[in-house]
Amino acid sequence: MARQDRIKRRMVRQLVRDNLETLEGAHPRRRGRRLRTVLTVARVLLLVALPAALFTSTYVLSTVAAEWRDDVWQDDAHNPTFSTRAPISFSEMEPLPPIEPNRSMATPQPIDPSVLPLALHTVVLDPGHGGENEGTISPTGLIEKEITLDIGQRVRSLLESYSYKVVMTRQRDEDFSLKQRAELANKARGDIFVSIHVNWIENREVRGVETFFLGATEDPYLEALAARENQNSGYSLADFRDILEQVYAGVRQEESRQLAGAMQQALYDSLRAVNSTVRDRGVKSAPFGVLTHTEMPAILAEVSCVSNDVEARLLMTPIYRQYLAEAIVEGIQIYARSLGQANHLEG
Amino acid sequence: MSEATPQQGSDSVLNLGVDLGTSRSSVSASNGVRQAVESYVGWPLDMVARKVLRRDVLVGREALDNRLMLDLHRPLERGLIKEGSDKDIHAVRELLKHLVSLALAGADRDIMTVQAVVGVPAEALRVNKQQLRSALKGIVDSLMIVSEPFAVAYALESLVNSLIIDIGAGTADFCVMHGRYPLEEDQRTLPIAGDHVDEQLHRLITSKYPDAKISLHMAREWKEKHSFMGEPTEKVWVVAPVQGRPTEFDATEPMRAACESLLPSVKETMLDLISRVQPEYQDRVRNNVILSGGSGLIRGFGMALQQGLEDVGGGRVRVVADPLHVGADGGLALAMDAPPSEWDKLAA
Repeated sequence: MARQDRIKRRMVRQLVRDNLETLEGAHPRRRGRRLRTVLTVARVLLLVALPAALFTSTYVLSTVAAEWRDDVWQDDAHNPTFSTRAPISFSEMEPLPPIEPNRSMATPQPIDPSVLPLALHTVVLDPGHGGENEGTISPTGLIEKEITLDIGQRVRSLLESYSYKVVMTRQRDEDFSLKQRAELANKARGDIFVSIHVNWIENREVRGVETFFLGATEDPYLEALAARENQNSGYSLADFRDILEQVYAGVRQEESRQLAGAMQQALYDSLRAVNSTVRDRGVKSAPFGVLTHTEMPAILAEVSCVSNDVEARLLMTPIYRQYLAEAIVEGIQIYARSLGQANHLEG
Repeated sequence: MSEATPQQGSDSVLNLGVDLGTSRSSVSASNGVRQAVESYVGWPLDMVARKVLRRDVLVGREALDNRLMLDLHRPLERGLIKEGSDKDIHAVRELLKHLVSLALAGADRDIMTVQAVVGVPAEALRVNKQQLRSALKGIVDSLMIVSEPFAVAYALESLVNSLIIDIGAGTADFCVMHGRYPLEEDQRTLPIAGDHVDEQLHRLITSKYPDAKISLHMAREWKEKHSFMGEPTEKVWVVAPVQGRPTEFDATEPMRAACESLLPSVKETMLDLISRVQPEYQDRVRNNVILSGGSGLIRGFGMALQQGLEDVGGGRVRVVADPLHVGADGGLALAMDAPPSEWDKLAA
């Protein structure tokens, strides 16, 4: 029995190694131990023999070359064909024809905007919360900061396979203020900003997805939600005036609204396929701090409700988190297509 | 969540063994779930079909039963993802998602991490494994890909001096076990298996009864009920429509000929692999031949192979009683035996 266990342990180790080699793209193992030993000895011999052979050949070649060079120089003294040719003087060359002015360049034409379609290259993903700022916690112990990071990483992996450049505001369990996240997005010159969150709703029967863009609201539920998500904003009182101005000035509001619409459509359509009772809670505007200072279309997606038992259980499964990630990517793709862009999976 | 290190035997880790078969796929889970589904995935053809079916995707028997309303895919060909079709890659993902959801449905606790061992044909190329790994990305947290006959050997704990012959729908896989993880030269894959029998049966019955309207699905169902090799114990009667009228046919001889069409190549490969074993161990391997896979259940198959061994001194062939789950059971055993530190290296 102990022998059998030993064999099994060895086999499992070898299986893991085989899988790691597959991941690394190494060639499969096929040689027997004896043959491998012979080849290893041959390789060692080759390593010893090669420098010696190189040294010898270099010595022989340099000796022969020196002798040959001596012969050539001796011949050169008597043979005029080895004399160097006189340099070409500029006066011998034919002048180049003068450059005609390009008539089409003389009168500039207006550029058709369709020649320069806007493109979406860099996506900034913001997994909500992190560090001590844990976000909401489900009765079963799911923590929002962990869910959002897991989904964010899945989204990043998918987006990269579609050739997008992805910037994450956090890649591990770190606590960054909302202001820091917005600054990072601006510095990275992101084309869009997608903040990923999961929701908590007092009525625990309620479930569904909703997507937000920056704007004012009079809905007490949204005010409470924004207050919760705006914890650890990092904004000072002096920033508050700017924030208010941006909320009401409608800066980037139309693009953000379109992005939010695309995201909500994708989330609802995709999730309905696997979660038939999911509710479309719509596209809404609310004063989320993380959306205020971003200089690009920016949205915040509440992709599930951890307050609802069914959704909390679904969120525990990697499959559902993968579905959510795929839905978010589909939302970004819908928005990109609305700009006339089509990204395809890398072969 | 993905940062958490799963602990072996921990309540939050679900280990899975998965046999992605050309015809049927099965899953065995550490929570006791054992399920098998037909390897079919279908999407409603149009809005009407979607309204009738009320689903966006159907998997398994449900897909097969509603195939007229579906864009039906059998995404695995010879045990691997069909090449050149994104839809088939999508279908394999749906199939695995379905198997994982079946396992999760039996979970009575919160599952945070799913670790799976998935079987592939013995001679699957590294690039095939990479393709499968890439297609299954994100569905489970960690993934190991294993040669299917090795998984069978592991399930049966037949790891030393044995020959596993695993014959499914798409491939016949052979693996000689020497007490080590099998190398390429220990394994062999033939692209002739159950599907080949279906095609032969369809061809033979159609040529014998040209008026009968027979589909490949019908031939497959008849084979699953009546397949045999050697002397028939009773006549095989099947019913097929002739000009719309159900008519009974004697399919005994076509059935026998179709099933026995597997024998020459399987026997030849078996004897060839045994002949490559070191001489002092050949006798032990001959007496420890294990026939598995759905096509291994063809009545008289084991006996026919045992007769084939008579030419080289005799031997013993045992037939696995539950071939549908044995590969997945082996995968599960491997998943459970792999320590957490090894799983950490194999994130999907």
